[in-house]
Amino acid sequence: MNNLILLVVLPLITAFLLPVIDRFSTLAARWSGPLVLLITTFIGASAWLQLGTGAVSLELGGFRPPLGIVLYVDQLALLFAIAVSFGTLLLWPYGNRGGLRQQTLTLLLAGSGSGLALSGDLFNIYVFYELVAVVSYGLAVSLRTPAAFAAAIRYLIISGFGAALSLAGIALIYDATGTLNLAQLAQLAPEKLNDLQGLSAFVLLLIGIGVKAELFPVNTWVPEIYATAPKRVSALLAGLVSKLAVVVILRLLVLIFPQPEAHTLLLVLGILGVLTGELAAWRARDLPRVLAYSSIGQLGIVFIAFSVPGEAGVFAGLAMALHHLLIKPALFLLAERWDGSLAGLTGAAKASPLGAALFVLFSLSLLGIPPLPGFWAKLLVLTSLAQMGAALYYTGAVVIMLGMVLEANYLFRIIARMYQKAPSTGTPPGHGRLDLAISSMLGAGLIAAVFLLAPLADRLQGIAAQTVDVNQYIEAVNPVPTRNPI
Amino acid sequence: MTPLDHLLLLSALTAVFTLAAGNIRSAGWIATLLYAAQGLALVKMWGMGYGPEVADSSISFQLLGQTMHWRFDSLSWFFALITVGAGFFSSWFASGGWADHYRAQGNSLRLFHSALALNVFSMLVLLASGDLLSLFIGWELVSWASFLIMGLASTRAMGYAMRYLTYAIAGAMAILMGIVMVHAQTGSFEFAALAAAVPGMSNGTLWLLLLLFGGGFGVKMALVPVHLWQAKAYAETPGPGAAFLGAISSRMGLFALILVIIQLVGIGRLVGMSIPYTFLDARDLLAWVAVFTMIFPTYIALRQHDARRLLAWHGVGQTGYMLLGVVIMDDLGSAGGLMHVFNYATYQAMLFMSVSAIMYRTGTADLNQLGGLVTRMPLTFIAMLVGIIGLAGLPPMNGFVSKWLIYRSLVAEGMPLLFVGAVIGTLGTILSVYKLIHNSFLGQLRLEHAKVEEAPWSMTLPMLSLAAIVFLTGYFPGVVLDWISALQASVGLPVLAHHLGGVHFAQGGLDMIWINSLLIAGIAIGALIFYSTGRSQRVHQLDNYAGGHFLSADVRYQYSDNFYPGLLHLIGPWYRKSFRWAESALVSLTDALSLAMQGLYRQVQPSIYLLITVVIALSWVNIR
Repeated sequence: MNNLILLVVLPLITAFLLPVIDRFSTLAARWSGPLVLLITTFIGASAWLQLGTGAVSLELGGFRPPLGIVLYVDQLALLFAIAVSFGTLLLWPYGNRGGLRQQTLTLLLAGSGSGLALSGDLFNIYVFYELVAVVSYGLAVSLRTPAAFAAAIRYLIISGFGAALSLAGIALIYDATGTLNLAQLAQLAPEKLNDLQGLSAFVLLLIGIGVKAELFPVNTWVPEIYATAPKRVSALLAGLVSKLAVVVILRLLVLIFPQPEAHTLLLVLGILGVLTGELAAWRARDLPRVLAYSSIGQLGIVFIAFSVPGEAGVFAGLAMALHHLLIKPALFLLAERWDGSLAGLTGAAKASPLGAALFVLFSLSLLGIPPLPGFWAKLLVLTSLAQMGAALYYTGAVVIMLGMVLEANYLFRIIARMYQKAPSTGTPPGHGRLDLAISSMLGAGLIAAVFLLAPLADRLQGIAAQTVDVNQYIEAVNPVPTRNPI
Repeated sequence: MTPLDHLLLLSALTAVFTLAAGNIRSAGWIATLLYAAQGLALVKMWGMGYGPEVADSSISFQLLGQTMHWRFDSLSWFFALITVGAGFFSSWFASGGWADHYRAQGNSLRLFHSALALNVFSMLVLLASGDLLSLFIGWELVSWASFLIMGLASTRAMGYAMRYLTYAIAGAMAILMGIVMVHAQTGSFEFAALAAAVPGMSNGTLWLLLLLFGGGFGVKMALVPVHLWQAKAYAETPGPGAAFLGAISSRMGLFALILVIIQLVGIGRLVGMSIPYTFLDARDLLAWVAVFTMIFPTYIALRQHDARRLLAWHGVGQTGYMLLGVVIMDDLGSAGGLMHVFNYATYQAMLFMSVSAIMYRTGTADLNQLGGLVTRMPLTFIAMLVGIIGLAGLPPMNGFVSKWLIYRSLVAEGMPLLFVGAVIGTLGTILSVYKLIHNSFLGQLRLEHAKVEEAPWSMTLPMLSLAAIVFLTGYFPGVVLDWISALQASVGLPVLAHHLGGVHFAQGGLDMIWINSLLIAGIAIGALIFYSTGRSQRVHQLDNYAGGHFLSADVRYQYSDNFYPGLLHLIGPWYRKSFRWAESALVSLTDALSLAMQGLYRQVQPSIYLLITVVIALSWVNIR
């Protein structure tokens, strides 16, 4: 269990050593990245088996909080840490695509992403979050096209602005409580942060971290970045990075800001995200942008779900987030050869029958068509919203459904085009073998999930229950009671 | 393994077989046999046609404390019988010559047959649903299976299928919202929980549920005002597929409506839910929707000149009769509405097949390009004749019985306005089916069709078998009424007392055996006189006179374009296309909103925008 720090450290160290290794052997450099990620995935998986339904906190270097750095490991954190390792392993730039730079950046992303998932205090969260941001600028411009640079500059501005805001939020919290340890904050929040300052801190943090989580209104970088980056990178950003930010927001919401105002704000922003994303996707002209806008919509649903207080909302939101984590990378990989105008996709199914079939499968699950997993996730969201009974929550449910109608239309317009007869002037290209293999694997996972629905749902419900259990978090970290904050 | 398991397994097997081997030449025949086997599995559950039997399936799922299960009762059995029957006849029709022709045009036979099998399977799953969740799963399966069969033929068909899909998803969302609301109220997806909760619900909640469920199911039935998708989508479906869809597909909406609104909510509540400031209640609302569904689409059908669209628009209109009959909810009316489901399936399938047969031989279904085919395709003519007599609701066919029951019930229950509406609808039907048979089979044969032959046996036999069913169930309506009274008992409607020939009342009932025998005797006597005198003389079809002048062979005396000019001159200004206008306005609105949102995401000054965002967010905090 103690070796979990390797999930963070090993990729980071390897990333910095990669140029050195490359000096001695290019082959070793090329394979050390996947090897490290494989190792970290194994470490994570074995820790998962050990952990069971418990939670532990790891004090780095033996320093106890609030002085020392704390990693908090519960099922939620570990699940996403494993997802980071495994996800980057799947989306690794194999075949030396992009050279050493890409490999280094991807390893950095794996290390900092795991750190983000596992961190137990706000300061580390901020540090890892910044690291992830810097790495993603680098990844986004890896094609080095003018459009990519233009998009990245905008991303940089928005993301930097967000970072400044979250730092301001953290400062406000520190000002009120004198600590940044999440467990301590959870203890102190009911009396110290339940006021205007606390709520302001939440708003600043939400907007700041929301940049990566594709939260409306700070998600305007999304379509351009996803369209201009290599689709492998878009898959990483849309699939993994956004989910890490979502997990951070979830932690903040559960531990520090359980106020009804915070939930309302999240609900409203989620609704606006679904509306703007799905509506914008309706007229998008190329597949990557369609996927980008739909991703905004899907994350909007996640936020709507998290706005339902208690276990039901967390359960539903996690189901949606994990579903999206599985689906979106696969869709982006399929879009690798299918970018450019949608009209160019006419007859694409002929050239790549398996790719088109997978696209249909993922689209159906994205829409939430039973019996695919996406349906059950959406059903959870909708039932938890209806349970709340308030008008605003019903609005959320109606907007989600409206989004589905739009989504069905624009996704199946594309699919209909793919299955038309190919035009005489050149057929659209087939898929790369690797992209196809990975998305087939994800598709197989999706179908397997249909058969394992009941155990998966029970496990996820357990995770949700653990996540909302604030006392467990506090007891696991067991901080020294702070006597004199500031 | 219960009998229901056998049925579902056989149906799944058909789908798997057609998917795996749909391209071999005999695939259609084998699939037809598999549908027949499904029919046998239904026969094993025969008891449901006559009593309150229920067959459970041994399949069930437990998820998050909810159990999903599947079962058949009399209601499911009746609809399943029609579904499997429609699948059987459509598959038969699509097996011989039609299949070769379809493949020769470059289409995939495997796709067609597997889409048909998937449709049958998904409908059976829907019919077997034992709780709201399995109902929704079945509902979605049916929607997507229909989408598949509608869209597979051509790019144009896919366009119409897309339109259907948008409507269907919107409808499904309404249903899902209803289900979720029921779950919020009762904590369960069971039918029994809903039925138990209904008495405690306020009228407001119930209205909301009624609109959500009714709206959702109404989309599938293509009730006015959500009727626009159906006709074109069905018309562009490959012939036997259109026959299948037209016969049963949109009836799934009626099934679900009977299940949820009539069985679980019940007539007592519906009548108690009055609409403020009017004299109407929830049941009247449904009835008036039904009547408008009868009238508008039927008169739209009148203006069509593509035979398939003409029929498909009727399909929309006839749904109104079924719904109207069912929502009267007395013994006569509901029996009439339900019997109309069966009757309509038999002749609509046959009519679509006969039009397909014409297309198969002549290559067109344009009513302005046909005529006089009775001499070349007499068997197809007989099928169409029987079909339109049924569709128009005239004796001796079965359509007469169901419409008679509905009319009689409307009169008996004191609903004169609805009755008038129904009669107006029937008038439109009679006018347009006459146009159909006149423009295709009567009049003068066109030169290019002089060598047309009768359709092959693989196509005429299923049509003639259906014609026999239409005639025989018209002669002995008691056969179908037996099933319907079992159904009525199972959903809690008053049961119709009947006998083999019809119904008996003190002041004159309906005995089809007597009526039909008389009719046949009359025709026989007429025929005897006609043929025994030997005065008749055969003339060539071009041997014509007009205004005392002989018409030479190069002047054809068959008018088909601008049919019913006088009538259309009168009612023409009523065709306003308001619904289509509303639909396109909605699409334009979405387009405009979409552009606006894209503008939002494309803005070039992110810093100012972010600043504004933060200012708004923080001032929101201050206001709280």
